[in-house]
Amino acid sequence: MPDPRATATVTAASAEGRQLDDLLRQCVQCGLCLPHCATWLATGNEVQSPRGRLLLLGELLRSTGMESGSVPVPFLQAFDQCIGCRACEAACPSGVPFSLLEHGQRQAAARLSDRAAGAPKPAVPGAVLRRMDRPGWLRFLSLTAGLARGLLEVVVGKAWRRRLDAGPAGAGQLVRLLGSMPASPRADEDLSHMLDKLCGRRTGMDGRLAQDVPVQTRDHSEPGLRVAFFNGCANAALMPGTSRRFRDLLGWAGCRVEEPFFQDCCGALASHTGRPGRAAELEARNRKAFSGALETGAVIVAEAAGCGHELRNYGGDFDENVIDAVVLLAGLDLPPLGRVPLRVVYHDPCHARHGQGIITEPRRLLAAIPGLELVEPEEPEVCCGSGGAWGLRYPEISGGLGRRKAANLAATGADLVVTSNPGCLGQIADALLLDAPDLPILPLTDLIWYAVQQARKSLPD
Amino acid sequence: MPDQERDFPAALFSILKEILGADGFHADEAARLVYSRDASHLTLGQPLAVALPADDSQLRRVVELCRAAGVPLVCRGTGTGLSGGAVPGPGAVVLGTSRLMEFGPVDQSGRRVRVQPGVLNDGVSRHAAGCGLHFAPDPSSQSAATIGGNIAENAGGPHCLRHGVTLQHLLHLEWSDAQGRLLRTGRGVEVERGLDLVSLLCGSEGTLGLVTSADLRLVPNPPDIATILAFFPDLEDAARAVVGLMSDGLAPVAVEMVDQAMLVAVEAAFSFGFPTDVEAAMIVEFVGCPEEIFEDCDRASALLADHGAREVRAAADDAERIELWKCRKKAFGAVGRLAPGYVTMDVVVPLGELPGLVREIQVIKDDHGVKIATAFHAADGNLHPGVHYDDRDPDQTRRAHAAADSIIRAALDRDGSITGEHGVGIEKLHVVPWQIDGEAARLQRGIKEIFDPGDILNPGKLHPPADASFRQVKTLPSGIDFRWANLTVTAPADASLAEIQQVAMERGFWIPVGVFSENQGIGLGSGGTVGDLVANLVAGPAFCAAGTARQYLLELWAETGDGRLFHAGAPVFKNVAGYDLVHMLCGSGQVYARPLAATFQLRPIPESVGCWRFPMADPLRREADLVRLTSYLANRDDGLGGPVLMVDSSRGGSESTVVLVPGRSRPWDLGRAGQDMVDILGVSGSSGHLESKFGQVSEILDGGLIPDWALSSPDWTFFARVPGKNAGPKTWPTEVDRWIWQAAPRLVWSPDPAPQLPGWYADRLFTAGRLVSPGAPATGVPLDFLREMKVLFDPSGALETPPWLEGENA
Repeated sequence: MPDPRATATVTAASAEGRQLDDLLRQCVQCGLCLPHCATWLATGNEVQSPRGRLLLLGELLRSTGMESGSVPVPFLQAFDQCIGCRACEAACPSGVPFSLLEHGQRQAAARLSDRAAGAPKPAVPGAVLRRMDRPGWLRFLSLTAGLARGLLEVVVGKAWRRRLDAGPAGAGQLVRLLGSMPASPRADEDLSHMLDKLCGRRTGMDGRLAQDVPVQTRDHSEPGLRVAFFNGCANAALMPGTSRRFRDLLGWAGCRVEEPFFQDCCGALASHTGRPGRAAELEARNRKAFSGALETGAVIVAEAAGCGHELRNYGGDFDENVIDAVVLLAGLDLPPLGRVPLRVVYHDPCHARHGQGIITEPRRLLAAIPGLELVEPEEPEVCCGSGGAWGLRYPEISGGLGRRKAANLAATGADLVVTSNPGCLGQIADALLLDAPDLPILPLTDLIWYAVQQARKSLPD
Repeated sequence: MPDQERDFPAALFSILKEILGADGFHADEAARLVYSRDASHLTLGQPLAVALPADDSQLRRVVELCRAAGVPLVCRGTGTGLSGGAVPGPGAVVLGTSRLMEFGPVDQSGRRVRVQPGVLNDGVSRHAAGCGLHFAPDPSSQSAATIGGNIAENAGGPHCLRHGVTLQHLLHLEWSDAQGRLLRTGRGVEVERGLDLVSLLCGSEGTLGLVTSADLRLVPNPPDIATILAFFPDLEDAARAVVGLMSDGLAPVAVEMVDQAMLVAVEAAFSFGFPTDVEAAMIVEFVGCPEEIFEDCDRASALLADHGAREVRAAADDAERIELWKCRKKAFGAVGRLAPGYVTMDVVVPLGELPGLVREIQVIKDDHGVKIATAFHAADGNLHPGVHYDDRDPDQTRRAHAAADSIIRAALDRDGSITGEHGVGIEKLHVVPWQIDGEAARLQRGIKEIFDPGDILNPGKLHPPADASFRQVKTLPSGIDFRWANLTVTAPADASLAEIQQVAMERGFWIPVGVFSENQGIGLGSGGTVGDLVANLVAGPAFCAAGTARQYLLELWAETGDGRLFHAGAPVFKNVAGYDLVHMLCGSGQVYARPLAATFQLRPIPESVGCWRFPMADPLRREADLVRLTSYLANRDDGLGGPVLMVDSSRGGSESTVVLVPGRSRPWDLGRAGQDMVDILGVSGSSGHLESKFGQVSEILDGGLIPDWALSSPDWTFFARVPGKNAGPKTWPTEVDRWIWQAAPRLVWSPDPAPQLPGWYADRLFTAGRLVSPGAPATGVPLDFLREMKVLFDPSGALETPPWLEGENA
């Protein structure tokens, strides 16, 4: 299929146009994609649906040619409002490749910002948004947000998120930003304490403090799997504790973890914000940084589903050798897992479920934890509305989708939500603060880490 | 263009925008383009705007405003329809229901739920899953199709074979007419009479009114399901096997089939591992208790093998069963991989004609040089041949459409219908006159004018032009005509029901409405005729509640008050060609038309019957209890026969309630219903007593029938007759009829007085054995429409006119 990143003129008559047209015709317009599309669910407007967008793309191709200057703004907006979750692709019985829409999105990204009338008003200034892929900057934001949240909790009270939601539009957005900044316990003790308390609530027992017993690692006589660790800006900067614990897990499972120098952001954010140049630059940098590791037979593990998806899209070596953290863990010989008597619901990040077809692995991992009850939510395939930078440009739709997701997760009666992508984690955490403040959310790998710790506790001293 | 005209949309738009808000009103280029299409690939032009109301008052305001402005309104759910019913013409406003997606709570014991029209079909089943219930109609588009759309098209689906199409699952509708008035039309219980507006609205394709909320009937999830998969080297053999299966008296819940071309497409899409060298693959599904379905599967497998199946196997587990259905339901989408263009038809033929039609489609395919892939709701005689072509090639396109028309002709030549599920829309306008006679078409246009005088609601759909050349009225039958392969019987209005039932029962079938034996002359008794059954819905007492006659009536010849003969329906199990005059008129007495002949569906005789007896200890609670029981029983699904409720005041001075539930060797269902009723009545000794042994029941029976098993507690008795499969001639309903009369000579059909449920357009049928004529409809039912309908059908007032129909409009 045509490379969506190409910038040559595409018209119905050109070879690429004909190829596009053939792909578009594969859509039988059955409409089965609609209920899987988050933006359709949020708006009820079929323009904001996969079928609608394909119709618009087809019209564009036939009437004006892809690169003509006369593309109506509402068309561009429709493409721009697609989160890119790919739930439609998984649902489509005709196998339409919805990456087709990237043609429209490219148009939107190139033009929409020029048009004062059509451009969405982002919740965050562009300059801030563009720096989101710089770990230093993110770390600064994370610290500031953490402080602000702490302060609000003291000044406004525990229900600060809900109380301030009704504030004036600008303030409301700021509060939402604060609430949705991905975070996880930094210190291991904090994580243990939180989960101990949660388990205690469930079983009616007080949590016990972990004893200082070494983790019983597997005896690996043969050399372990070599893993090149991809940091990912959000994980490294916002959830350093989680990253560290994940690396612990890999070590306990006998992996040899290395961390190539000079790696950078995967480029997803740059693509989402319409900066293909920056994305290509980042790709080149990462290719170079990981070339050594790949040559010597290591696999690249991406902690965030979003990064993994983007890295695999580089193609070639990367497509074959990048592996999602959850998939890697599910295939490893982990140390024994202890009892975690919780009802847990897993949220599938779209980049995992639709982008990489990862559905069974996280569930298998969770099901292996003794005492854990895994429950399924309604609409597991529907996007939570985070979409990285997308959520900042369409805060209203995004906020609504977050609450829809939180309601579905809370309706399962779970004690804990786990997921495997920082964007989703932040988005859902914010919605939960609003509607189900007693339901916490954690990275999946943190729960596995805790289960290993639980096994340690039950070992004889 | 005068200024006023140019300004009019702008003025209308600004009001609409104000009412609906920015999220609810879209008039931009993108919205107008996207909403000009649906799943049919047909277009008429671009609409003016799209309105997405967020509640029913907004919806009614939109209707009111558009009517005042003379702007046509096209209602739309998710645009999954295949006949172009939701495609707007230029100058129309599209009214989308996608922001009307609220559910009411599930009424578990009443087995019903109220939903808004934008709710998705399979969302209803998910919503009710916690109560062990589901919504039975399951069109292949069910994951995206809305309830509003299902009602507009009277949607079907694989499991409608057992449970009936959407119409049979509608209890009550709230709807907006073309003036934006909120109206109510419904059924409190199954037994109701009068002109049935639910039947009229369901399948009217949004041309008569817009549903704003619907009470849906839910059916219980079966305790166990078994699915057989069979492959046939020969397609015609497979079609014959389906006829054989149904003629044998088996009652599968679904019989689905795909031909080789479809199988190849599905296999290419989903790699299920089906053999692609066979001409047909078939899925047969049974539900029930494990022993029962084990036996059914055995019987079916042997039958299929006898008819030439190469391989017959059961789905190994639930996962495989679900996967099988997923393949079937996505088959339509999978054809997108075959060719860029297609015409998908939904013709229906009488069951026995299926092999012949299959053969003829092969000939048509070769004659026109086209590619056809077909999926079948086989036991309904309903098939979806899809003609595939490249729409960029004019010659291919022409041949494809010619082939499609030939297939429709072939179905009509076999007494079939042009459409069983998809509706007329704009796609089939040109073929409607091939099926419907001029008088029936005139009546349909008349109905449209009564409900929508300004032609605002979905104009240009469903009705072909008045000057089209409609067919002659189908020949009026002169005698009783059983078509065993079709499982139908056609008879003139004066034919004796007793005679029909006698002949049918000897072959193990009947119209499940009673036996009309020589009893005490109660009800219609042995003198009942086919005409009585059509006009009065029910006839004999015992088994009327197996659903009313309406459920089994397929085709009707009748004459209007001024003596014009017309024909409606077809001798097929699914038919959505035009308004449903057949079911609308059934039960309306002789007020609107005089029935002359009818075709009924034959069903296998129930093989079991359960009987409960509860004392009515507390006279103060009697009525409330009866209302609750009636409502429960009315919503019960027994597949082959519903329950009968009777009040027996003959024994020992105190009244007792007798409930009879015929079924098909399904003690599990009888048992569960028993427990439900015990719970509803709150009679003592209710918990855990269903295990008690055969007991003190003999005194209930004065001889005649001995129950096969019985359970009792001090406060209630339950016994059942479950004869074995080889229990001799299947005439036991006659015995049971006699037994009822012996045991309870004074019977009342439904509680007296009849419960006044809102919108319940119903009345008692029999009191103390006498037919009671229909009373006035309940509040919310539009009397003005009924009066105008009376004028349409009986302009001279030659037919019976109940007092409430006279007088001025309310």
